[in-house]
Amino acid sequence: MDNSTPDMPEKLVRYLDGELNEDEKKIIEQQLNSDSVLQQEYNSLLATREAIRHYGLQQQVDAVHQHMMGEFQVPVKKIGSKRRIIRNAVAIAASVLLLVAGYAAFNFFTLSPEKVFNSNFRVFELTTVRSDGAGETAAEKAYREKNYKEVIRIHDAGEDHTRKGEFLCGVAALELKDNKKAITCFTEVLEQNKQATVPILNDETEYYLFLSYIRDRNYNAAIAIMEKIKDDPGHLYHKKVTSKLIRQVKLLRWR
Amino acid sequence: MLANLRTGQRMDETIKAIYRSHFEGLCWYVMNNNGSRQDAEDVFQEVMVNFIELVQKDKFRGEASVKTFLFSLNRYTWLNELKRRGRALVREEKYERGQDRVELDTSHFIADREGKAEVLRVVGELGETCRKILLLFYYENLSMKEILEATDYETEQVVRNKKYKCLKQLEQMVNANPALKQTLKNLLHG
Repeated sequence: MDNSTPDMPEKLVRYLDGELNEDEKKIIEQQLNSDSVLQQEYNSLLATREAIRHYGLQQQVDAVHQHMMGEFQVPVKKIGSKRRIIRNAVAIAASVLLLVAGYAAFNFFTLSPEKVFNSNFRVFELTTVRSDGAGETAAEKAYREKNYKEVIRIHDAGEDHTRKGEFLCGVAALELKDNKKAITCFTEVLEQNKQATVPILNDETEYYLFLSYIRDRNYNAAIAIMEKIKDDPGHLYHKKVTSKLIRQVKLLRWR
Repeated sequence: MLANLRTGQRMDETIKAIYRSHFEGLCWYVMNNNGSRQDAEDVFQEVMVNFIELVQKDKFRGEASVKTFLFSLNRYTWLNELKRRGRALVREEKYERGQDRVELDTSHFIADREGKAEVLRVVGELGETCRKILLLFYYENLSMKEILEATDYETEQVVRNKKYKCLKQLEQMVNANPALKQTLKNLLHG
């Protein structure tokens, strides 16, 4: 077959499309083997068909891709107004809870025995000591002059082991941050009061004793006294020992 | 799956199945090697087209697992893109957990990205009717009778003539673009 015949390009396309019968196919394949120009023309058709196929595949994959990206996205559910209100309420409650938890955590981690002690300790005013009518002792004089070391010295020298002397020893020791000494002195006051017909400075001693225990990190001993005060409405310091204060000391046990 | 891709049967379902099985894993690789989610999606789409063409040309016959082969294509495509962007190649590139580190050299399978984009551009420039007829015939493998039913033409012969003219028109456009012709040659022969 002559390559230059007018129907050749069409026949080459029909060969490309697989529409020739066996005889026609054999003839054109022979021509392709022997005619490089015809082979180039055929290669050109193959390249053109490849362009279409590549375009088609790209389009199909693109369409599936869009579909799959939609499938992979987490579906956003539309919710009704009632559910939205509930959801917002839950969100607000969660936020409040978070704030409360944060505040509690802050309090917990910033809580210290010194902090609790300082916010509850008040300097003892000696006029109260003098209200029992006793004359001023050397310990009282030293205490009024804020000479706390002298108060301790007088106590330790055995010059004043009265309940008042023991009490002043306790508060002076607290001023000097000597917790152990304060505990010893205050405990002695309470012991003597147990033997006495009329207890003196008992409520004050209990108050300063549990503060001494707190600063000494003996929280169980402190809580026992605090709960006793809290349960006694007639106690002088009943209003000062609140549930919150007891809770704080209980928290200190876990620090 | 490979048989479906090779014959073009149930293509949509098969491509979807590949997405469901492999997209997240390959996406993870790109996103852990300086890529965004969008990068990962674009690369996977490109990998899918390459993979299907390789299967259809019998260049992949299941010698390695589909997972390993797709991973290699994905990796090569992404590293190429990083190079193109002028970024230093990530030496400590991270691999998918549990991925067998089988190194497959898939670079020779992949025709250049710019060349392929040019193919899409040129075919896109063809008139809509021509593009539709050629796609129905050469991509969807529909018969002239089926194409007649899908178009407004009166007879099969009219469709045949139209298809012939459209093919020739596109052929001229391809021949006028030597770089494009080379890309198509690479696509044909790998």
